[in-house]
Amino acid sequence: MGGAGVTPSLAIAVAAALLLLWLLLRTDADTGDQDGELHRDRTLAAAYALPPAELATRIFSRSDREFIVHTGSARLQRLYCSERRRLAAQWVRRTAREVNRIMREHRLASRAASNLNAISEMRLFLQYLELRLLCSSLLLLIHVFGPHALADLASQTGQLYQHIGRVLDNVAPANAMNSSGNSAA
Amino acid sequence: MNNSVQFAAMQSARDDLERRTLAGINGDLARLIYLASTRDYNSGVYHHEGLAARFGQEQAREALQTAHCDTFRRLVALPLQALVSELEIYVNVSREAPDGLIHAWRELEPYRVAIPMEMDATMVQLFLSNIKLALEVLELRQKLSQESPPSASLQPLLGR
Repeated sequence: MGGAGVTPSLAIAVAAALLLLWLLLRTDADTGDQDGELHRDRTLAAAYALPPAELATRIFSRSDREFIVHTGSARLQRLYCSERRRLAAQWVRRTAREVNRIMREHRLASRAASNLNAISEMRLFLQYLELRLLCSSLLLLIHVFGPHALADLASQTGQLYQHIGRVLDNVAPANAMNSSGNSAA
Repeated sequence: MNNSVQFAAMQSARDDLERRTLAGINGDLARLIYLASTRDYNSGVYHHEGLAARFGQEQAREALQTAHCDTFRRLVALPLQALVSELEIYVNVSREAPDGLIHAWRELEPYRVAIPMEMDATMVQLFLSNIKLALEVLELRQKLSQESPPSASLQPLLGR
């Protein structure tokens, strides 16, 4: 019985891991294609580029989405979703590429260094892996649920929590009254 | 020393450009279009007769380029609603009919030429995407205003 329940969960976990691996490899493949573009005159671009966090705030802006929703146009909402989905995925891939580049440069510099701190290097590598995993997870979420995936999932979780709370209140009103009576006492 | 003198001259040129020219242009989108128009399509080099005469060719070029990049950065950082307002100002200032301008901008995408060179690719994509969305919002507003009957307060004005 337990085995039958475990098998689908295992299959889902393996599928998710494979998908993450594929996304990870995909961002790596993108690195090679666009290295030339990244190495273009960086000085001016760097001086006027918005910091990654500010750029992310703009791309994933909740107020922009609310503004579009308020227009009441389904066509506009579809266009907004597809545009932001594309941009969000591009931002994540770019961030992953930038991190790859920084790590590559660090690796090259490390080869020449004589006093490497193994613990710091290990910590840095783990942080790099964590960031890559985050980027891959974000890509997956964006592809499956859209650009506002995390906010949407959080809000859905909140709604579900409230719903379960209401259901529990209805199922056991006596228990709820008891507990409120106890807390008042 | 030489560098600091050059930077000061460029800064003076930039201040002059802001005070005399850009301050007179309504809205950042219109400023962006103006600054892009001072750039040669073939060479990408900026040119402004008056500035070059007062501050030198190189200083004028740098002042125009930095002003262009700054304006673009401000526009990219704007919320979508504010960008729609910018576009609305631009449409109102231009002497074109709003419908015609929106149609031309959607078809020809002239705003692509207004982007400074060597900008961050994601910023460029965000700008293009936001302009596309802003045009759609403006078109929707145009349609709604044409469909709804004119308000009582506007009737006397339209009758004149």
